[in-house]
Amino acid sequence: MPQELSINPQAMRGWNRAVGGGSVRHRNRVSKLSTTTWTVAVAAVVAVAGGMAFAQKSKAPAQAAGEIPRVASAAPLHPVTIQRPAGPPRVNTGTTNFHGQAVTVACGTCHATTQPNARTHTSAELDQFHQGLKYAHGELNCLSCHNATNYDTLRLADGRSVEFADVMTLCGQCHGSQLRDYQHGAHGGMTGYWDLSRGPRTRNNCVNCHDPHSPKYPLARPVFPPRDRISVPVKAAAANH
Amino acid sequence: MPESATTVPSGAAEFWRQYPRFLARVLWEAFDGSRLFYAWMTLLTAVFLVGANAWAVQVRDGLAVTAMSDHVSWGLYIANFTFLVGLAAGGVMMVIPAYLYHDEEMHDVVIIGELLAVAAIVMAIMFVTVDLGRPDRFWHLIPPFGRFNFPVSMLTWDVLVLNGYLLLNLHICGYLLYMRFIGRKPNPKWYVPFVFLSIVWAISIHTVTAFLYCGLGGRPFWNTALLAPRFLASAFVSGPAFIIIAIQIVRRVIHSDFGEGPIRTLLNIMRVTILINLLMVGSEVFVEFYTGGSHTSAAHYLYFGLHGHNALVPWIWSSVVMTVIAAGLLLSPRAVADRRLLNLACVLAFAGIWIEKGMGLIIPGFIPSTLHEVVEYLPSVMEWKITAGIWALGFMIYTVAIKVTINVMGAGRRHFSVLPPEA
Amino acid sequence: MSQPTTPPAEGITRRDMFKGLGATLGLAAYAKALAPLTEWKPFESVEDFLQKHYSELSAVDLEVVLKRIEKDTKKQYGADVQVSADRPQPGVKFGYALNLSICIGCRKCAEACHKENNHDRPSHQSYIRVLEMSNGSLDLEKGNAHYDHPVPAKDKFYMPIQCQQCDHPPCVDVCPVEATWKEPDGIVVVDYNWCIGCRYCEAACPYHARRFNWSKPQIPAAEINPVQGYLSNRIRPQGVMEKCTFCLHRTRNGKLPACLEACPTGARVFGNLLDPDSEIRWVLQNKRVFVLKEELGTKPQFFYFFDA
Repeated sequence: MPQELSINPQAMRGWNRAVGGGSVRHRNRVSKLSTTTWTVAVAAVVAVAGGMAFAQKSKAPAQAAGEIPRVASAAPLHPVTIQRPAGPPRVNTGTTNFHGQAVTVACGTCHATTQPNARTHTSAELDQFHQGLKYAHGELNCLSCHNATNYDTLRLADGRSVEFADVMTLCGQCHGSQLRDYQHGAHGGMTGYWDLSRGPRTRNNCVNCHDPHSPKYPLARPVFPPRDRISVPVKAAAANH
Repeated sequence: MPESATTVPSGAAEFWRQYPRFLARVLWEAFDGSRLFYAWMTLLTAVFLVGANAWAVQVRDGLAVTAMSDHVSWGLYIANFTFLVGLAAGGVMMVIPAYLYHDEEMHDVVIIGELLAVAAIVMAIMFVTVDLGRPDRFWHLIPPFGRFNFPVSMLTWDVLVLNGYLLLNLHICGYLLYMRFIGRKPNPKWYVPFVFLSIVWAISIHTVTAFLYCGLGGRPFWNTALLAPRFLASAFVSGPAFIIIAIQIVRRVIHSDFGEGPIRTLLNIMRVTILINLLMVGSEVFVEFYTGGSHTSAAHYLYFGLHGHNALVPWIWSSVVMTVIAAGLLLSPRAVADRRLLNLACVLAFAGIWIEKGMGLIIPGFIPSTLHEVVEYLPSVMEWKITAGIWALGFMIYTVAIKVTINVMGAGRRHFSVLPPEA
Repeated sequence: MSQPTTPPAEGITRRDMFKGLGATLGLAAYAKALAPLTEWKPFESVEDFLQKHYSELSAVDLEVVLKRIEKDTKKQYGADVQVSADRPQPGVKFGYALNLSICIGCRKCAEACHKENNHDRPSHQSYIRVLEMSNGSLDLEKGNAHYDHPVPAKDKFYMPIQCQQCDHPPCVDVCPVEATWKEPDGIVVVDYNWCIGCRYCEAACPYHARRFNWSKPQIPAAEINPVQGYLSNRIRPQGVMEKCTFCLHRTRNGKLPACLEACPTGARVFGNLLDPDSEIRWVLQNKRVFVLKEELGTKPQFFYFFDA
């Protein structure tokens, strides 16, 4: 399970095949030739043959040309890079140093000496640090995700630790449908190439857009309102010459 | 002369000698006349020049000078185009009685209708031309250099039928006038088949023009099979209405008294067609409003306004009132005797249909838009100028054409006919 | 010209003189009325005017045309641009899907389109229009494009609409001069050098996808996107139609469209419909997708879906 859940750029294609590649699965079953799958296979073959005949008859050229061997799968694919958090966050101490810069400390600096409290689930319950942290994430408490034995890592539901950089593994435990959509390119912003045989792609991770403590997507002010009437001054065209 | 009177024009040499003289005469007639003629033509020229100037500015600065937008992408020009195609087709209502039913009197004045068709088609084509964003690329329509998307695009059909109708009527009128000019009897072989063709063609120009709109599935207001029949019915109101008035003006100018019979015939035609038109508009309105749903919001916008937008409401109700009053006047028995009543009815019918088939048909096709947004449209001053200019040019063409016809036929004739009496 | 006492010579009557005067004045008036036409520059050169239809240009012709457009852009807008004519790739047919559950209606796609495609600045032109819709209804009648409050608003969803790249495009059928057509990779394009500007396609499109250049586009040189395609984002001439091309100058080179890259939530899914492993295919197979105005039979290649 962890293998599949970890967000590994090179595995993107693999997911697509595992979920979307129905034809691949069929072929494997037929090779086993078990009696139950035999009937399924025959039905599939008939259906495919019938479908192809129909496609020919209804002369859908695009569809007929559709399943040609893809050039893309032969060429080496460029990577899909998922942006990751730089590492464990640092906490502002509220003081500044000699140069006027804020002094921050690693989580472990304080938490190494403080006693973890499994019941805490908002910063309001704390008397120091993390004040004002907005929390709205279901019924979770801090230690649902933060690792009480090593605060510079996160904690999976089964108790194993996971690096901050691999936060998506953590989120994906509960938000399975979002992770599934993400894995298939149907959730989360991206830039770069749709065709990985021609260039790479960069993708956001969960916490690029969702504050982990208050994950609801924030309200935004819409940009670029439409204009309905032509507001171009008439004389402008003449002035261009 | 006598022996050649019944034959086909003899010899090319004769033709080449006479035809330039004929053209010169036509040109001369266009630039010479009474004081009234000069005043009228000067007025029209002035209006035309205002329009030409506005068009030149529009070509230079783009259609941004109009009030059209990406929501209402056709406006006053296409509204007038649609109406004028109907006016051109309406002229055929003189041709049918004259040639099909051998109405002698109608035969005498039928050229008034045919020349109207010529003028109206020229105007219609001009309205399409001024609506083009790139008139310089007009040649893209003309094979073999251009690419003509025939038969898929209904607009290519329209280009063909409109130009075909123009040529047909130019040929018929031109041939008859030329024969009269050289003093020969026209050979029926050279015009009668074209006249019959023009009857069918007149129906086709307006049907095809309706198909331009009603074939668009994305515009529910236009997407009705009743559109072409409605177009024809209203064309057969506006055409006769114009001709009834034109006949009276012409005979006052030349102090004649022809055309009493034809006026009655046209009146009788209008009595039927204006009711058919009202019936069709009524059934459309019923279907729209009884059915309800979002497909009827265009009709709602047109008649009652939508979401507080109601720019077309005064237009369409003026049209409804004018058409209904016109129908009442036409149906009244007094309409035959009382010329003032008849003329009022004709003016009201003409104006009512100009609105109904123009602004009342084109604009609601775009409001609400395909995304159901309401962006209103009222023509800009530039559009009104260009529109007035084209109408002025149309009147110039019609005036000159009628004048040529009168004078070529010889002054002082009680009759007006360019045709030989029916055999 | 002649003495008032002598009668007009050679049969020139007063009437003739008036006519001559009238004719002269008339001609002058014509010249004056049509004078604005002398300031009209619809094309930069004779070659521009006589250019053939895109499909009839040979490779050499096309090269010359592209160079000429680059030169004209420099001359008219002062910007150095590269205009290419990317061809459709074999085995690729583009499809687009949009997740209405995720879209927040921020209109960043519309803005990105505006910049990427070198749209006219003053008119805020964009190929994308975003409608704010009420939950529980897909009736566009209840949509509103002019919302101006923080989004997503309560009980609303947002529906960006752009060219649906129909498989049965009504806009292509109606064009009288074949200035618009559907490319093998599914993109409906316009040859801006062939369009006559009759706007019949704009009337025929059920999706408000087409735009007209009501005037010459105005863009400051610094804002011009120099990576341009002949059939897509090069600066359009005045008086011609334009439309969304799924950014074919990008997508035919494997890149994602500008509107997708601008989308902060990932509501947009783009890819090759012919690749069974593509993201777009996964969406079509696993989400309950629908198309706009399916009843019109236009067969859009732009799909909408909600998360379950």
